[in-house]
Amino acid sequence: MNSAELLQFVASGLQNGAVYALVALGFTLVYASTGIINFAQGEFFMLGGMLAVAGVRFGLPLPFAVLASVAGTAAIGLLFERVALRPRRDSGPLVLIIITIGGSMVMKSLARHAFGPNELTLPPFSPGDPIVLAGASIDRQVLWIWGLTIVAVIALTFLYSKTKLGRAMRACSLSHDAARLMGIDTARVVMISFGLAAALGALGGVAVAPLTQTAFDVGARAGLKGFAAAILGGLGNPIGAVVGGLVLGILESMSVAFISSTYKDAISLVILLAVLFLRPQGILGKRGREKV
Amino acid sequence: MTGSWMRRIGGFALPLAACCLLAAVPLITNDRYLFKVLTFVGLNVIVVAGLALLFGFAGQISLGHAAFVGIGAYTCGYLTAVAGVPWPIAVLAGSVLAAFGGLLLAVPSLRLKGHYLAMATLGFNEIMSVLFVELRSITGGNDGLRGIPFASIGAWKIDTPSGNYLLVWAVAVVVLVLVGNVIRTRPGRAMRALHGSELGAMASGVDTRGLKIQVFALSAGLAGLAGALYASAVGFISPSTFSLEFSVLLIAMVVVGGTGSLAGPVTACVLLTLLPYADALIPGLSKDAVAVLQDWEADISGFAMILVLLFAPGGVAGLVRRAAAARRTSVREAA
Amino acid sequence: MSLLSVKGISKRFGGLTAVDDVSFEVFEGTIKALIGPNGAGKSTLFNLLTGFERPDAGSVAFGGAPLAGKRPHEIVRAGMARTFQNTQLFEEMTATENVLVGMHTTLRTGLMAGALRLPWTRAEERRAIERSAHLLRLVGAQEYADSYAADIPHGVRRLLEIARALATSPRLLLLDEPAAGLNNAETRTLASSLRRIRDDGVTLLVVEHDMGLVMDVSEEIIVLDRGCKIAEGPPLLIQKDAAVIEAYLGEEDVSA
Repeated sequence: MNSAELLQFVASGLQNGAVYALVALGFTLVYASTGIINFAQGEFFMLGGMLAVAGVRFGLPLPFAVLASVAGTAAIGLLFERVALRPRRDSGPLVLIIITIGGSMVMKSLARHAFGPNELTLPPFSPGDPIVLAGASIDRQVLWIWGLTIVAVIALTFLYSKTKLGRAMRACSLSHDAARLMGIDTARVVMISFGLAAALGALGGVAVAPLTQTAFDVGARAGLKGFAAAILGGLGNPIGAVVGGLVLGILESMSVAFISSTYKDAISLVILLAVLFLRPQGILGKRGREKV
Repeated sequence: MTGSWMRRIGGFALPLAACCLLAAVPLITNDRYLFKVLTFVGLNVIVVAGLALLFGFAGQISLGHAAFVGIGAYTCGYLTAVAGVPWPIAVLAGSVLAAFGGLLLAVPSLRLKGHYLAMATLGFNEIMSVLFVELRSITGGNDGLRGIPFASIGAWKIDTPSGNYLLVWAVAVVVLVLVGNVIRTRPGRAMRALHGSELGAMASGVDTRGLKIQVFALSAGLAGLAGALYASAVGFISPSTFSLEFSVLLIAMVVVGGTGSLAGPVTACVLLTLLPYADALIPGLSKDAVAVLQDWEADISGFAMILVLLFAPGGVAGLVRRAAAARRTSVREAA
Repeated sequence: MSLLSVKGISKRFGGLTAVDDVSFEVFEGTIKALIGPNGAGKSTLFNLLTGFERPDAGSVAFGGAPLAGKRPHEIVRAGMARTFQNTQLFEEMTATENVLVGMHTTLRTGLMAGALRLPWTRAEERRAIERSAHLLRLVGAQEYADSYAADIPHGVRRLLEIARALATSPRLLLLDEPAAGLNNAETRTLASSLRRIRDDGVTLLVVEHDMGLVMDVSEEIIVLDRGCKIAEGPPLLIQKDAAVIEAYLGEEDVSA
């Protein structure tokens, strides 16, 4: 394999990795503010792509369709939290995650009713030939994916470190009781986390849709890989989510390059199980202690 | 007095009547479609009985039970269709291999709680889905495994729809009786204790690790048994049957039926399995109505799951139990 | 005869030493109290003795046999049972069922025998239910036998947990604040229950804040402060011990 081919694989790894990072950030945001894993996170990814396709079909210009799909998915995330999760927020995590599992079933199924069972295509954000870089050809859409991921990460960093909402979110991730004592409306923070998580998932879904097509049932895989990325980097750690996503993407594409494409999907699953079983706090996470 | 008398009817006479009804179906009708549908119901009942034990009683979630059904189905299918192994041995092998798979998954999962266990079992299901497709020499890949022979014991071949129906339900009834006995005695109490408070269970002398492994293997073994029976009843298996969606549907059945109950999940299982095949029981049902039911099956299950958790977290069985407890209290206060 | 012998046991969490080189003995047939200000390491010590935490140093011998490396259920089987500061009941099970779980190690019905409902398992079950009724009477919780634990009043929950611990047929019973949340009359009943349990041949080690109860029932007291043992002896001596009074200064009056 020459260097151009290798670069090609790295680029495709970073392309998928950026998408995984976006989905992983969604998992991480919700986990940090609620302590639960949102099993519907993958469906937000699916809705991002599907709603954008629907918007284009409806006659919206592409940029508006993309924005509308991200905003619409965020609204669905907010609504889902408010209607299905908040009434039970004092229950154990098992109850909440099963509600999110039910939510993912319903979202997926409703998407099939609304958009049909077939694969759908979204036009590329900026049409044109791939850009050739050191012998590797990189699709223009890939640049969009990277750009949007970078923008999202910067915006999220700003939100976390510089705004009042960000401080409230960080306080909630440490302790809800303490946050409440500081006068923070924890219910609102949780709801906003869901909205943001949905928006991030949707952004990943809409950004990659022109390259891979989309369908009502793409959520589960995307959710699993995003979760694998999130836990690889340490669940609840936003930087870990981004690193985990990129590492997972590269590992996948290297496995295609050096082993075979047959088990590409299995790689992330094996990594997921290995991290869960051996180091559930993630590669970047610290080992916690369980209290009796 | 009436309470215990009624309980005795509920605990003994009702299941007996259900068994008589099940056994009488072939005398009333010879509708092949009906038998096929009821066979599916019986198979799901076997899986749900095991999952109720694991999830409803021991509180250990599994989003990977479809994979255990698949392990049982492919093992039995391969052994009977390709290797020519006698059917009873193939069924046994399918169950044992699935139980072994459950054991392999349970041991590293011991440290994982709640959502981590859910994710690990979900990942396991996806890995098995990939393997069912990719291990072509055994599974036939996406085309599936064809020509799996019917159940046979020696020269006696069970090759009619009604025969398969009776076979599956005979096994299901035995499984229900055995599981029903387990939950009423020491091992079942230990499982409920594990669910209620793991620390409390440990302090009561329950080997919680050993129990988790045991119940995981048992539950996976029952799923494998159902899979093995499925393979020989249908004659053809393909990977999509054993997907994550099926695992989630199974969990939905237990959640809707109620945790800490066997009758609840079994009832929910019967209803949710029949839903897309409602025309088998209701002859006059229009094709359109059936199509709508099939189309909305996942939505109905998903919504039912959310609604139950929002408004009746103990499931339908929990509502019944609470009502009974409230009546007992009011009777005591009145007396 | 010494039933429990603790030698130089220590436990650190990060930089904090929760239990620091503690040694003591509990003699068969006695009630020993373990007291100390909040955060003194009493519950951690309980966790170390019962296998819920591993000590960093030191050893524990029970009935002459070392307990090192034993898991909680094995320690229960060896004859040491406990209750928790935050009761760990099985909320969705009745009081009787809670106590039956406590008999886990003494009953023999396994998966196979239970699934087949062999005749001997029914007889075993019947005897177990009779015994659970007896234990619930012993602690004074008999009227809640058929109530779900979740519906049982706070004070009775602690009694139920004691009954469950007794169901394991322990030689040594470790109680973590049994009188918390009880009123005066209930505490007096508890005191007589504890004596009756001791008279039935069960040795007791009790963590308790209610000094009246401690002085009333215990034959010997051990005092922890910030992880260290600062005093040990009969109640009358402990009440006068300067180090103990020092440790409790601003906490509460020892003689109260």
